[in-house]
Amino acid sequence: MTTDLGFWVLQTLNALQLSMLLFLLSVGLTVIFGLMHFVNLAHGSLYAFGAYMAASLAGVLGYWGGFFLAPLAVAALGAVLYFTLIRSQRRAGPMAQVLITFGLIFVAVDATRLIWGDLPIGIAVPSVFEGQLALLGVEYPIYRLFIIALGLAVLAALTLVLTRTQVGAMIRAGVDNDQMAACLGINVERMFFLVFVVGCALAGLAGAVAAPVLSVTPDMGLQILIPTLIVIVIGGLGSLKGAVAGSLIFGFVQTFGAVLLPTFNSVLIYALLAAVLVTRPEGLLPAKG
Amino acid sequence: MFAHTPLRLTTLCLLATLSLAYALFAGFFGLEILAEIAILAILVIALDLVAGFGGMVSLCHGALLGVGAYAFTVAANDAGLSAFPAMVLAVALSAGLAFVIGAVCARSIGIYFIMATLAFGQMAYSFVFQSPLFGGDDGLSGAPRPDLTAIGIDLTDSRAFAVYAIAMVALTYLVAAATLRSGLGRSLVGLHHNEKRLRALGLTVWRAKATAFAISGALAGLAGCLAAQHTQYISPGLLSWTVSGEALVVVILGGLGTLVGPIVGAVLFVVLKHEISSITPYWHAIVGLILIAVVMSRANGVFGFLEARMAARKPKPFLQKADADA
Repeated sequence: MTTDLGFWVLQTLNALQLSMLLFLLSVGLTVIFGLMHFVNLAHGSLYAFGAYMAASLAGVLGYWGGFFLAPLAVAALGAVLYFTLIRSQRRAGPMAQVLITFGLIFVAVDATRLIWGDLPIGIAVPSVFEGQLALLGVEYPIYRLFIIALGLAVLAALTLVLTRTQVGAMIRAGVDNDQMAACLGINVERMFFLVFVVGCALAGLAGAVAAPVLSVTPDMGLQILIPTLIVIVIGGLGSLKGAVAGSLIFGFVQTFGAVLLPTFNSVLIYALLAAVLVTRPEGLLPAKG
Repeated sequence: MFAHTPLRLTTLCLLATLSLAYALFAGFFGLEILAEIAILAILVIALDLVAGFGGMVSLCHGALLGVGAYAFTVAANDAGLSAFPAMVLAVALSAGLAFVIGAVCARSIGIYFIMATLAFGQMAYSFVFQSPLFGGDDGLSGAPRPDLTAIGIDLTDSRAFAVYAIAMVALTYLVAAATLRSGLGRSLVGLHHNEKRLRALGLTVWRAKATAFAISGALAGLAGCLAAQHTQYISPGLLSWTVSGEALVVVILGGLGTLVGPIVGAVLFVVLKHEISSITPYWHAIVGLILIAVVMSRANGVFGFLEARMAARKPKPFLQKADADA
């Protein structure tokens, strides 16, 4: 099995698809942490909310309606959260933030159960991306290739914004030293808000694209939370490069671990995380040098 | 520094009297709830010891409890040990594991410590979940209760078991309080305040942290043994990080770093859980809202709030007040 080229191509594509999904989630979380020093455990719940919105809207407006509107809905929810909870707790320390957002997870899980019920919801893949594509001798679902492409596109767009625009320079300055950035006349408060809302929208986007692949259940936010946290801790809190590296490491270790070392698979990623934390407590590519 | 203020002693006496009185008169359902409260109380005392006094906010205490529960069940069922040696073995295993986790994570602080303990907890969870020896997803059943018929106590009776569980809470509290009053406990509080200073004073920081974490882990393991004996069925869910998260919630609701507060928190949490879940299936949401309200109110939980009110009513010399804070 392992000598067959097709096997490697297939598993690499699977790993890439998982990595890109995690990237969409972790990039928002990591930049929010890097910039605001805010630990948002409820990020996974925003992803679940995005998936539910996409599933509901897809029934009315078709897949693309959900795809474009779900991130906006999640961003709106993020804005509400920002003004009610996040802003006042920014300087409260990690303990209070972890607890408040842990409480939010409880509320979010029950809210989704109340609104959408306990049963999993499925939505269909859009007709454009139905079917398989032959690639290096492997038949691969086109929709999953679309997820990979979307992740790469978001990565390219974010890299461009962060390295080539003024807003990007301001954000990088804020991550580096927010007080100094504020002294230089940057409205750090407004930037925090912007980054938080964009991070939420990306979580919603991840939920919307994941909805046709995974089933939409109330605990999907909890299930994705731990992998997302692992990604950003391995990569280094606050850095875009770290989120990319962490997502790829997680995606490949998880996928290839499952097929090559099935008995150790689930322990493997945690052992890797522990090794990273012991040797480089700040992660592989921390935001600050 | 930890001290027994009059309020703390009064609360402890009240808790002991009320719980014993309740254990004598309650029906079957009440006794089950009492045992559940006792098990949770042991876990949260263990967590408060490291989180409240040492600043080591751990998200792996659920896993330490689960390891204790599994070790006890396997030792009693498969290795054929009787209940008390199996308990000693399970507690020792939890303590050893906690020592290793504490030693490895000693360098991490703040959010990194939380994440690192989360990772170790999840590692234990995945290991138990996947390993066929531990029954995987189905869990294990048939953990025995200790045999005390020699001294005329039948622990299969739920009234006797509830009293036994309360006695274990008392034991746990004594161990935690003794630890905090020892040199190790003082070092732990000192480390929380200023690690560099303690390092300069010649303390081996990692060893102090790991030892404190091991004592806390031993107590969590004891809670695990009791949990296995109580329901006589264990599943990997015991090790999940949400159990650790819930324990942290209870500590916060009760009052972080007061040691007595978390016990009050455990009583409130279990009673609220049963009361609310009899009204609505969405009790988690209500607990979540209460948690958010408590944290945002900036009061140190129910008991911390009470202590602050008492301190405000009766002004004390500055030094003594600073003592009570720690």
